[in-house]
Amino acid sequence: MQRVEFLIRRLLTSLIVLFGVSLVTFALARVVPSNPAALYIGPRARPEEIARVRHELGLDQPLPVQYIKYMEAVLHGDFGNSIATKRPVLEELKGRLPATLELLFTAMFLAVIVGVPLGVMSARWQGKAPDLVVRIGSIFGVSMPAFWLGLLLQILFFRHLHLLPLAGRVSSDLRFTHPIHVITGFYLIDTVITHNWVAFKDVLVHLILPALTLAAYPIGLIARMTRASMLEVMGQDYIRTARAYGLPDFLITYVLALKNAISPTLTVIGLTVAYSLTGAFFVEVIFNWPGLGLFTVHSLLSIDYPAIMGITLFGAAGYILINLAVDIVQAWIDPRVSLN
Amino acid sequence: MKLRKWYWLLAVLVALSLVGTACGGAATATPASTKAASAGQATEKPAATQAPAPTEVPTPEPTAAPRVLKVANTATITTWDPVKSFSTEAAYMANIYEQLLRINPPGSKERFTPLLAERWEHSNDGLVWTFYLRKGVKFHDGTPMNAEAVKASIEAAADHGGAAFIWAPLDHIEVVDDYTVKFYLKYAAPLDLIASSLYGAWIVSPKMLAAAANDKNYFETAAAKGIDGGTGPYMLQSYTPDQEILLTRYDDYWGGWHKGQFDKVLVKIVPEAVTQQQMLEGGEVDLVTRIPQENYEDFKKNPNYDVFIEPSFFNYVGFFNTLHPPLDNPKVRQALSYATPYDDIIKIGAYGLGTQSRGPVPQGVWPWSPDVKQYHYDLDKARQLLAEAGYPNGIERHLKLTYASENATEAAFAPLIKDAYAKIGVTVDIVPMLWNQQWALAKADPAAKDTQDIFLLLYWPTYSDAGTDNLWSMFHSSEKPFFNLSYWKNKDFDHLIEMAAHETVTDPKQAQKDYVDAMNLLVDQAPALFLFDTKAIFIVPKYIHGFKYNLNYPFVQYFFYQLTSEK
Repeated sequence: MQRVEFLIRRLLTSLIVLFGVSLVTFALARVVPSNPAALYIGPRARPEEIARVRHELGLDQPLPVQYIKYMEAVLHGDFGNSIATKRPVLEELKGRLPATLELLFTAMFLAVIVGVPLGVMSARWQGKAPDLVVRIGSIFGVSMPAFWLGLLLQILFFRHLHLLPLAGRVSSDLRFTHPIHVITGFYLIDTVITHNWVAFKDVLVHLILPALTLAAYPIGLIARMTRASMLEVMGQDYIRTARAYGLPDFLITYVLALKNAISPTLTVIGLTVAYSLTGAFFVEVIFNWPGLGLFTVHSLLSIDYPAIMGITLFGAAGYILINLAVDIVQAWIDPRVSLN
Repeated sequence: MKLRKWYWLLAVLVALSLVGTACGGAATATPASTKAASAGQATEKPAATQAPAPTEVPTPEPTAAPRVLKVANTATITTWDPVKSFSTEAAYMANIYEQLLRINPPGSKERFTPLLAERWEHSNDGLVWTFYLRKGVKFHDGTPMNAEAVKASIEAAADHGGAAFIWAPLDHIEVVDDYTVKFYLKYAAPLDLIASSLYGAWIVSPKMLAAAANDKNYFETAAAKGIDGGTGPYMLQSYTPDQEILLTRYDDYWGGWHKGQFDKVLVKIVPEAVTQQQMLEGGEVDLVTRIPQENYEDFKKNPNYDVFIEPSFFNYVGFFNTLHPPLDNPKVRQALSYATPYDDIIKIGAYGLGTQSRGPVPQGVWPWSPDVKQYHYDLDKARQLLAEAGYPNGIERHLKLTYASENATEAAFAPLIKDAYAKIGVTVDIVPMLWNQQWALAKADPAAKDTQDIFLLLYWPTYSDAGTDNLWSMFHSSEKPFFNLSYWKNKDFDHLIEMAAHETVTDPKQAQKDYVDAMNLLVDQAPALFLFDTKAIFIVPKYIHGFKYNLNYPFVQYFFYQLTSEK
């Protein structure tokens, strides 16, 4: 019962948050002086044309009216049409979301399988060489701007070593020789389902650099977080007792200690997923990755109101969901945390 | 107890991934899925792009690779409607659609190339133009191209086209027979130039025009399905917004096909210049449209590439606000014209890719003439003129210079103007603004204190007549300024260009003379700085042949039909 109560309370507060986000975004987008109607038509539009399009897009109405109209439509599932592509915003988001999610999940997967062991190792050999390397490395990971790191990796692995591709999700030649049959939009999954192994390898290879770039920050953060909580846990009495009993080192570190130390790291993982969503913007621009980030950048630059609103609301909703999931997972793993 | 927790954890993870999959599964399929089987089947029209729920899982058959030209372009699509088109999508429109005729680059043997019209003539008074159409041409949707189609296309353009104003001289169109069309004009105008325009002159399938009349978004929906209404050598096969455009060859193109030409053109939309360069050097694309300016020198030294530097029809102009004293005094404006470091501006702002302008008409476009005067950098002359105008110690109030922050060239040379004017006692405040904001400010209230004093503008004519375009749009007096951002009103100038416009067809020699007089008057009165005509630079790998830039079609970097390769 307590859990259901908790869920309901969280959902209600989430709705309030979403409403607030929509209001603020709407106001901000309108405050920026620009003329999306003019951008819609092209650089040489005559004033009469611009006025006509403004009216068509409903941009000549008073702001509160525009907002109410927009929210009404949203409640019916209509997020309007993108001013730039002239297609429904929902369709644009749905079409581009898988690309971003695939990148995000791959990056987070890398971040966890690399970051957590690094953190554990760093705690285990505290003060020694591995600890130093991991600590310096994680500072780099956290402070390096994503776009700079991306460019560096491109220059190294594409330009000089000719090992990895420059940009995009898939080689352009492949669309003619081994076209991917799209089912979920996650190319890794789709190529496996259709036994398209040539394409699978190609997709994987294209994922490496952008995922690595995106994972740099989370790896750094997760490693540090894990190290800190591991150190705290490993200093506790029960660990000393386990050592005294002669339990194997591996068991102590990875089972007894890590399980108790992982809780703060989980919170961090949840937060970095959200942070990485914005990091994805830069990564997608550098690697010309056809996801939500690239679409957002274009929408912002062309002040595409419906698209900006749609993306922000979706992003906010996604963020809320992720944090909710993290809280639930945390509560179930760690009995000390209660859902209040 | 422990087990239950792990089950919950698993449940949450599974739920999250299901959410992700659900979102992906409902997505409209990317082009790869719908075009899977159509590689090589150029004439088959593809079906709608919804991904069908697969009942069986097809194992992909590796298909033979067609000859594909890969291009990285910055140009995005504002609209796929050939009538409304007025922006950078012209790069693709010009390969899918055709006009009645095309104007050739300056210096060509013939002024025009016949396209859908084989020949044309006009009456002596220039009021009636007759076009004789090419026979046996079909649109990509199978409809025959004939006089009715031409009439429908031009009427649509004149009615609601993005560049409808080019058809202002048109009175009505008469279909004489299936292959003969007569245009009746209200006043003499060079219809051959107008009909060769990059905008508002495409001949479109009448079936599609009729459908579009009932549905505003018809062409956008059609493009999403890979359908277009052109007669050109390439057809639209698929379009993924902001990502790529795939063109496939039209086998029944009237010009025919020969060895070495490309079956498909894959255009990747890449807004980053750095990425484009890396793609070119890495062999991921064959052609690019923009690389960082500082890197062109490297390609000149590279034996694998040819570098073409060609005049283009873009130029830079700096309007003086003639409603703001002391810029209302021609002597002051002349002084500033002498104080402008033209050579440095070209060298630093444009990496040397430009030539100083002679008035606002770019070289190579009617009615440019070498007889139009130019200013040259001369600070002493500038100081002298300022003194004569009553400002021996320079100008006290600051001058506000605005430019479009998206334009890297303007950002580079605006400080040069500031520095140079400082030397004669004129202080310039540089204010970068987004293009739309800069333009909105200039048009809001010209006399207002907040409005700019100097407006930097990158200009280009809509079609190859800079007399009725550049000269008129930028300097003919007007009540509500559109591009006349110096707000200058001069009856003599107006009269000269009005006369010359009417004489262009009936007495071209006199028209040229009148235009030269008008341009010299303009340069003398200096309502604006005439900075430089830009040059376009192209990097073409040695294995691609047939490239020839046509400055009359500035956004069309490549006519793909002209290109061949032995690879």
